[in-house]
Amino acid sequence: MSKKGVRIVAAFLVIMMMAGCGDERILERLGFIESQSFDLLPNGKLRITCSIPIADPQSEQNRKVIAIDAESSKDAKLEFNKKTSLTLVSGQLRNLLISKSVAEQGLWDKFDTFGRDPAISPQVNISIVNGNAGHLLEKDYKQHPPTDKYVNRLLGKEARAHTIPKMTLYEFSRDLLDDGIDSIAPIIKEEEDNITLDGIGLFMESKYVTKIDTEEAIILGFLRGNLQRSAIDVELKKGQQVMFNSLTSKRKVKVEHADTERAKVAIHVHLKGSILEYTGPLKLDNPSNRREIAKTVSEHLTERANKMVKFMQKHQVDSLGIGQYVRNSLSHNEWQSMNWRDVYSKADIKCYVHIKIRNIGKSS
Amino acid sequence: MIKGILSGNVALFHESDTYIVDVYGPAARAIEQSQTETVITGPHDAFTEQANSNLSLIRERLKSSHLKVIKLEVGEVAKSNAYILYIKDIANMDYVNELASRIKAMEIDTVYDTNMLIQCIDDNPSSIFPQFISTERPDTAVSKLSDGKVLCFLDGSPSIVSVPASFFEFFTSSDDYYQRWAIGSATRLLRLVAFIITITFTAVYVSITTFHYEMIPEHLLLSLTESRNRVPFPPLYEALLMETTIELLREAGARLPTKIGQTIGIVGGIVIGQSAVQAGFTSNILVIAVASSAIASFVVPNYVMSASIRLVRFGLIILAGLLGNFGLAAGIAAVVIHLSGLTSLGSSYLSPVAPFHSSDWKDVFIRAPFSLFTRRPSQSKSPNKIRNKMRK
Repeated sequence: MSKKGVRIVAAFLVIMMMAGCGDERILERLGFIESQSFDLLPNGKLRITCSIPIADPQSEQNRKVIAIDAESSKDAKLEFNKKTSLTLVSGQLRNLLISKSVAEQGLWDKFDTFGRDPAISPQVNISIVNGNAGHLLEKDYKQHPPTDKYVNRLLGKEARAHTIPKMTLYEFSRDLLDDGIDSIAPIIKEEEDNITLDGIGLFMESKYVTKIDTEEAIILGFLRGNLQRSAIDVELKKGQQVMFNSLTSKRKVKVEHADTERAKVAIHVHLKGSILEYTGPLKLDNPSNRREIAKTVSEHLTERANKMVKFMQKHQVDSLGIGQYVRNSLSHNEWQSMNWRDVYSKADIKCYVHIKIRNIGKSS
Repeated sequence: MIKGILSGNVALFHESDTYIVDVYGPAARAIEQSQTETVITGPHDAFTEQANSNLSLIRERLKSSHLKVIKLEVGEVAKSNAYILYIKDIANMDYVNELASRIKAMEIDTVYDTNMLIQCIDDNPSSIFPQFISTERPDTAVSKLSDGKVLCFLDGSPSIVSVPASFFEFFTSSDDYYQRWAIGSATRLLRLVAFIITITFTAVYVSITTFHYEMIPEHLLLSLTESRNRVPFPPLYEALLMETTIELLREAGARLPTKIGQTIGIVGGIVIGQSAVQAGFTSNILVIAVASSAIASFVVPNYVMSASIRLVRFGLIILAGLLGNFGLAAGIAAVVIHLSGLTSLGSSYLSPVAPFHSSDWKDVFIRAPFSLFTRRPSQSKSPNKIRNKMRK
């Protein structure tokens, strides 16, 4: 055999022998951590719970839940591994459930590994749990899919409808590390038989500060960005409801004045939607009545939007990202020298919401 | 004179003259349908083992005085006749001369078939891939001639080879031209998809189940793990086992008469499709992967190319099982590098992708309307680049 032939055979043999010692992760020998929850213990340690689906059709349970007290997430993974026959891996992680108490202490330091570990997808959903996160994850909700999938689909579906923001590891860390915007995250809580949305948490840096209610979430939605295929329900007076769907929105932020001390900002939101329900006295087929309703709804929404901005200013959280627009209108030096949080809390921010009725549905 | 007698002629001696009379009429197969290259619409006749009848099949379709035939002798012992066909002023004479000189330079006792002949004269004898395309269909042969290609065939073989060939030519069928152009284009794209499926599907399964669990979608994860749970082998061995079984079935089916072939199909379908999964021998998703890549491999119209691709697939499966997606990517890269290095009669095998000739693409990746076929393929380096013209 020629010298080249010998080399090829040798290389082939080496490859064949290497087969046994690669970092193989054969599917059925793995335990996929699908959800992980974090609670704060009185002694300052974390209680970490993880849920692993079981792929055995004969098994009665469809998942396995393990809880452990540990210093950090990776520390916990080593401990988890001691308790199972499977190699635990986090590449299929879908949900991070963080209890409010942990979130109040700040997420970034403790969760360093989620930004660092290449196995963890940036598409992992982050949600804050009002109450005990471990308990929420441990519990089986009889009328619903397995808890991991339940949470995952709940958040995904609601984010598509814009009732909550889509908040994955990617979006959270982007808002966190960017100048002039603060992160937000959906809050969920456990009920008797269900898991339900409990508002949207506002963060200052990586620390949870306060929340806004679920009813106001859509307002936050259109103040924060452009929406598509959304819906909104407005109560004009007692017993007078208007519901819009196929709602699209466009946000325009105008910085009217900005220096290192003061800022004046106007947020214009243009909504367009179809009326799906209206329980009021006016006849909708009359164009002037329609204009009337649009005007009332616009005023109503403007008021709610202004209230929300005031609330955020009070807590000094710039969850709408107004700082980004102010930053763009200033020079880099000016922006660096200004204390945006102070300026923000005193800034003159006005919201203007305009709604346009696209159509009034099939019957009139 | 002796040569004449050896060729089956009768020698007639009259006084001092000798006449050689051609009364040779050997037993021959009738012109039938091609078994290997069937089409749905279009002509159904195919070449036979008789060189004269093959020539007449081509002449019938190409009544041009420019069609030229060179007759050569091949094989030191057998002295078979090889014919080179080309259209003068359309074919590039460099190719014709190169082909003729290669055939003359062959040193071999006997050649039995054109497919054997081309292996003796191709540019890279040790490559897996065929570098000349052979066909049994006269209509394909004629279309190659008018593309400016050179044909070559051997007396006693029903295949005609067209040179130079490009890799993508192996994925075309004359049926593409007989369908409406949109359907023809869709079929061509489908074949390229089939090519990708057949070389990668099983390999991707192996690589994902062995290394890259992160890539599995949420909904597939559990069913995949469930079906893998009962299998005692690692995915690599599981896949090789199934692929070998399919190859066994195919080979058995190819060598048996049609009636027994059906039995093989049923036995294979039931034993492998169902029992293997039920017995926990393989996972059902692997069966899907193996079956679809086997089916996809038969979509490739050229049998020689289809066999080459299937062999390449085994290499990729092994690489995927050992090194995961990295191995798979490296393997595909190696195949692409190899393909780019190949030549067919000195011209690039990957033409018209490399060298890049986008104007040829409308007859490679899709089958555009005929009105757009205004130029002959760049690979044939024809002196008459524009079609429908015979310029001096």
